[in-house]
Amino acid sequence: MASTGNKNINAKLVLLGDVGAGKSSLVLRFVKGQFVEFQESTIGAAFFSQTLAVNDATVKFEIWDTAGQERYHSLAPMYYRGAAAAIIVYDITNQASFERAKKWVQELQAQGNPNMVMALAGNKADLLDARKVTSEEAQSYAQENGLFFMETSAKTAANVNDVFYEIAKRLPRVQPAPNPSGMVLMDRPAERTASASCCS
Amino acid sequence: MTKLYTHVFASAPDDVKIDEQLSEKMALVQQFVQPENLDIKPTFRNETSWLLAQKELQKINMCKAPRDKLVCILNCCKVINNLLHNAAIASDENPPGADEFLPVLIYVTIKANPPQLHSNLLYIQRYRRQSRLVAEAAYFFTNMLSAESFISNIDAKALSMDETEFEKNMESAQALLSGLSTDFDGFSVQTDESAAPVPCAEEEKPRHRPRNVNKGTVLPPKPPQTETRTEKAPVTNEQESILKVPSLSDLENKGADMLLKEDRTSKIFEEYPYFFAHAGDLTINEVEDLLTNYKQIVLKYICLSKGMGGPVSSPNSHKQAMDHAETVNEHVETVKEAVDTGKAEMNEESESSSAEQTADKPFPFEEGAFDFHSSRDEAVVLKSETAEETSQ
Repeated sequence: MASTGNKNINAKLVLLGDVGAGKSSLVLRFVKGQFVEFQESTIGAAFFSQTLAVNDATVKFEIWDTAGQERYHSLAPMYYRGAAAAIIVYDITNQASFERAKKWVQELQAQGNPNMVMALAGNKADLLDARKVTSEEAQSYAQENGLFFMETSAKTAANVNDVFYEIAKRLPRVQPAPNPSGMVLMDRPAERTASASCCS
Repeated sequence: MTKLYTHVFASAPDDVKIDEQLSEKMALVQQFVQPENLDIKPTFRNETSWLLAQKELQKINMCKAPRDKLVCILNCCKVINNLLHNAAIASDENPPGADEFLPVLIYVTIKANPPQLHSNLLYIQRYRRQSRLVAEAAYFFTNMLSAESFISNIDAKALSMDETEFEKNMESAQALLSGLSTDFDGFSVQTDESAAPVPCAEEEKPRHRPRNVNKGTVLPPKPPQTETRTEKAPVTNEQESILKVPSLSDLENKGADMLLKEDRTSKIFEEYPYFFAHAGDLTINEVEDLLTNYKQIVLKYICLSKGMGGPVSSPNSHKQAMDHAETVNEHVETVKEAVDTGKAEMNEESESSSAEQTADKPFPFEEGAFDFHSSRDEAVVLKSETAEETSQ
């Protein structure tokens, strides 16, 4: 859910990919590579938030990691619901992880938020000798499906920040500010009861 | 929210049903699920420390505010994350991510079998202010939701097991559970019902007697009673299946349990002046009084037993009572004869003579003896349970 307010954008970003593709390493490199000491997350591990300044706005990413094991695949919709962006990670040394990435892309296209910014990241680009998935193959797949593609390396940090910057740039800017300031009363009784809450 | 709690928490029959099903499923699966069934890497396994996380999760019914319930979940996640982090550092692994976290959370949840998980999660979803259920809290709450979803859909495939192996495991788990309590379903319903209102003993009073908040502190608190019932349920069930008679000892133990929770115990015993007396403190004049008191109590007890219907369930204590009465009788004479005898000696003598009497007489009621012992055992079990409860 990307929401704007004075050019501050909050964006939920979900990481998808096979187990061992390096989702966590990628995000750790992004989060820690910039501010080694700074980590807003208190519980740690699978959730991170990171703020990026792009040309005209500040984007605060809330990064949701997901479990890549096949047995947890069916739980993914709970995580990508409402996400403004997704990074689908695969391991360039592992063809199966690329096939899995394609599945994710299809699923997101079918069920995800239609405005979602999707990035395909071929991780472990430092392991050139063991490469199984060619850059061209992935690039053409990405073009066909309207994603942008980069090969990254969490180990050397190559392209890691670039992926996040690129996403930040592509996030939709023009959004009707839903709450300019103060409270807007609207004639939506049904919704109001649904969101009524107290003592929380 | 405290007053509304019973109406808004786990009030829909459908939710209660899902709670029961989920809880039963976890009770079964927890018997045989292994970390490898959920893809938890060996380096990250630490079942002893996961108990800490389980404890956090089990606290969820101890609070009523949506925020507090959420905090229980977040604390559980925090513990898991810290453990994963330490394990990663210790074994030089990559830092843990969701690949490691979610499986452990699911495992911990299954093992913890938190009460009314479904209702609790729904409750948080409905009543936690949306603007506060964001970012990290939202993420970990989603993890909990997905854990619930995974558990409720658990099957052979989800655990990488053979269909037959899974069925077999489920059956043996079922058998094990029904062995533990003869009436598992009844029990689970009972727990769920009483677990709902039980959460925080202190907060409970106003709910049970919304109009008598002041009285609540004076009256024997109701929640411990319900709690006792919950705690005792498996034991009593077992007991009943063996004896087929609801015995006095059940009542006795229940009373003892309640007594343990009462803070003004000494006040209750004021009625019985000799309760805290030492043998050395007694004077000869008091012996008569003591005996009268004793007889009255024995009479009351027997009448009570008869009034309960069925055979006198603790004839052994009855017999003992008679023994004691005789002993005391004897002693009145002995003491009258030799007033000068040292008090300590008298004490010794009384012990030995009662022992002799018991040894001389063959046990008149075999069954009674059994009953006595079993009720004793039960008392011990209950005491340890109570101790556990208080330690928690």
